[in-house]
Amino acid sequence: MPEVDLTIEICGMSGDGTIAAGGLLNAALSKAGFFLMAFDSYPAEIRGFGRCVTRSRVGMEEMLALASETHVLISLDDEQSLSRVPFLAKNATVFFDNRPPSFVEEGRSIAAHVGPDVTLLGVPFRDLTARATGTTRGRNLTALGAFAGAFDLPPGPFHEIIRKKFDPKGEKVVLANIKSFDAGLQYAREKLDRSAKGIFPVPQKTGEETDRVLLSGNTAIARGALDAGLKLYFGYPITPATPIMEYLAKALPEKGGRLLQMEDEISSIGAVLGSFYAGGRAMTATSGPGLSLMTELITHGVMAEIPAVIIDAQRGGPATGLPTKTEQSDLHAAVFGGPGDSARIVIAPTNVSECYGYTVKSFQIAEKYQTPVIVLTDFFLDNRVENVGMPRAVPEEIFDGNVYPDPSLKDRYRRFERTESGISPRSIPGMEGFLFTTTGLEHSEIGVPDYAPQNHMLMSDKRHRKITGAMADLPAPREFSKGGSLKVGVIAWGSTFGSALEAVRKAEKKGIRAGALKITSIFPYHADIIREFMARCGEILIPELNYEGQLANLIGHLFRKEVQRLDRVTGEPFPASIILEKIESLAK
Amino acid sequence: MSGQHFLVIGNGPAGNEAALTLREKAPDAQVTIISRNLGGSYCPHLIPDYIAGKIPEECLFVVTPDAYTDKNIKFRHGQRVVDLDPMKKTVILDHKEVIPFDGVIIAVGGKPRIPEYLRVFEDSLLTLKTVEDARIWVSMLPETDSVLLIGGDLTSFAVSKALIHLGKKIYFMLTEHAFWPLRPDGALLDEVSQRLACRGVEVISGKRLKSLTRPSGKCVAARFDDGYELEVGMIGAFYGLTPDIDFLRRSGFRMDRGVLVDEFLHTGFEGVYATGDCAQIYHPDLRDYWVSIGHANAVILGRTAANNLLGGEDQTAVVAESIFEVEGINVNTSWWMEF
Repeated sequence: MPEVDLTIEICGMSGDGTIAAGGLLNAALSKAGFFLMAFDSYPAEIRGFGRCVTRSRVGMEEMLALASETHVLISLDDEQSLSRVPFLAKNATVFFDNRPPSFVEEGRSIAAHVGPDVTLLGVPFRDLTARATGTTRGRNLTALGAFAGAFDLPPGPFHEIIRKKFDPKGEKVVLANIKSFDAGLQYAREKLDRSAKGIFPVPQKTGEETDRVLLSGNTAIARGALDAGLKLYFGYPITPATPIMEYLAKALPEKGGRLLQMEDEISSIGAVLGSFYAGGRAMTATSGPGLSLMTELITHGVMAEIPAVIIDAQRGGPATGLPTKTEQSDLHAAVFGGPGDSARIVIAPTNVSECYGYTVKSFQIAEKYQTPVIVLTDFFLDNRVENVGMPRAVPEEIFDGNVYPDPSLKDRYRRFERTESGISPRSIPGMEGFLFTTTGLEHSEIGVPDYAPQNHMLMSDKRHRKITGAMADLPAPREFSKGGSLKVGVIAWGSTFGSALEAVRKAEKKGIRAGALKITSIFPYHADIIREFMARCGEILIPELNYEGQLANLIGHLFRKEVQRLDRVTGEPFPASIILEKIESLAK
Repeated sequence: MSGQHFLVIGNGPAGNEAALTLREKAPDAQVTIISRNLGGSYCPHLIPDYIAGKIPEECLFVVTPDAYTDKNIKFRHGQRVVDLDPMKKTVILDHKEVIPFDGVIIAVGGKPRIPEYLRVFEDSLLTLKTVEDARIWVSMLPETDSVLLIGGDLTSFAVSKALIHLGKKIYFMLTEHAFWPLRPDGALLDEVSQRLACRGVEVISGKRLKSLTRPSGKCVAARFDDGYELEVGMIGAFYGLTPDIDFLRRSGFRMDRGVLVDEFLHTGFEGVYATGDCAQIYHPDLRDYWVSIGHANAVILGRTAANNLLGGEDQTAVVAESIFEVEGINVNTSWWMEF
């Protein structure tokens, strides 16, 4: 089967139906059996102005990252789409509406700006939609139909997905949208020059039944939490974490749980701690500004040894920053934020599957080690869509990660007993004979305030011993290389890892001995494994979407010399091409 | 010429030459080519060699799109002019973009001509003018054993040779229109007929096509007025070209079949010239209009139009003799004035 690696962009103004069209495209292509990774970019403002772009990378193999070049651009609004022209690949194809509602001055059509290598396909989106349905509202679907027609994609999966999406709105709406799609499809089949360079029939994947599902990072997190036995969700809306709350608002009550929108992030984390304190699995999700508000209570969880699961969906910062742009700049805050020596567990998934798996794991770990767990994601990871294998059934044992006190300890129970592992058996309020006191003050083994120097030393050591021990349950760094000594080793975390791995694989194809190390346990981190990898590398490169090189600050000291930092704060996902360039220059 | 914007509509041999000349002689001006076809400027006379598999598609192009970029010529291909206002000096593109100009050269060439009585069968007839047309021939020929060529023009003989090269069975419907735009006499027709027959071509003469049906997806059935029936894989229609100037009908130009221009290729509107196959050129000696055909003439006319747009006074040089070879017979085509 020929290799397909196609990046398709749809670009329009807010309200053009850009994001909706992208969602339908992704669902249909996934249904048709392709692997894909998709990401939407939209303005922070609610509606009415601003550019929306959906990007879908489609292929026959699992996608690691978005591509930096676009092969097909579907322009729903030329003025907005002009900004996408510089990203067009050589011999790209552009679909645009060649019957706009009014005349435009020279240069205001995308036709004036594309290079001569680009195949420009004018399709009267508005006219076709109006003729098919009597309104121009479905022109995003018409554009999608034109794309499908030009590239010989079967309409079946599109029809099915359109029906599924619009079914709640009634048959009339379903048919109108199918008609819009078909109008574009028919036009492309009959009128467009499909022999043009840049257009080719996309090979079909046949005979393969797939159980893959299309999930965003946020949806995967919400589903992971549900499968882990989430009972209560407390949150305050904030981009890019809000979709988790939206999903759970519907799904959690159906499973007997409750969701409560709190007045702010402080009360949200407070309620999560209260819930876990009482034995109920709870979660909150926020972004950088919310995490900073939660900081004091997170450290309360550390001190009082109360589990909590906090999703920090990172966005551009500091402060309100860039609400709809991606960044990985909360690492310092997640690992070190807050008063005192308040070590907590921080894990960072690198793809949508891990968003699911690590959310499940975070509940188990939070309970077992009786401490807050922060799951660090980012805007790109939260909002990107991948078609992933159906999550496997969650093992029974993770439904209760608690270490309960032995019944023989009844009436002799010491809630904060200094054990070898640092983990003290934990009772749940209401367990007869296992009463205890909880406080955010430094306390003795039975939980009463105790500021004695020796006690603070011992209790601090107990809490940190516990965190260090958690490494056994946390995912170890995973190396992707041919082994042995490497010219360049790339260490990456979060959504950047996919780009790093793609760059490393391309470097290997160019004959460079390169390798990638994926780090998902941000704190505590597996220093021995990282050090062993670093020792085999001539250079260590750490690409990150932040200005300060926050992971490099955390683990850079493990390398015998200065690590190479590659820091970007463009608000966009890390392009693999830039990492590849750096690898090549380091390998010289 | 600094800051002036010159448009060339069409990028056939005349349009391409006009744009290159403008670029060369007005280095500070903005030069834009607008072409309805996708791709660079190609050599139409090489298309038969392409469908014969003798040359790859890349060899058809004399100027690639990238080459225009290198020459700082803006190349808008796949874009169609739907209106030209010579008074306001604007053109309107199909997608409603209005482009102002200081000077324009109309060099849109011709489009395949299908006689009125055959238009009802248009879906079953293949033409061969553009690279897109050629791609269709190339994609269909491997599945085809036999081809009927009807109408007949100069291109059809080159296509016959290509099909012979590919080992296809050829039926050639030879009529008095066979050499359109030429009008051959009976002796010439006989001679051509004999030569075609010698090459294994089955010549059908004295018949008129009555109907075309498609009994299956891979074959077309032709029925003639005398009851003769024929099943072939493809039918090529070769009735020459007609100027592609419908978009100018409301522009106020003097038009016959083509745009009427004086011997300097000027349309009568300031800064507006027409050249190549789409122009009917006045000749003071003849006191009539003539039409040029052929690649070499088109190049000369393209250059002339550009020179005159830039202030020159070049009179169109009518080639005294332009000889085309038809199956080894020389045919004089210059001074052809019928249209």
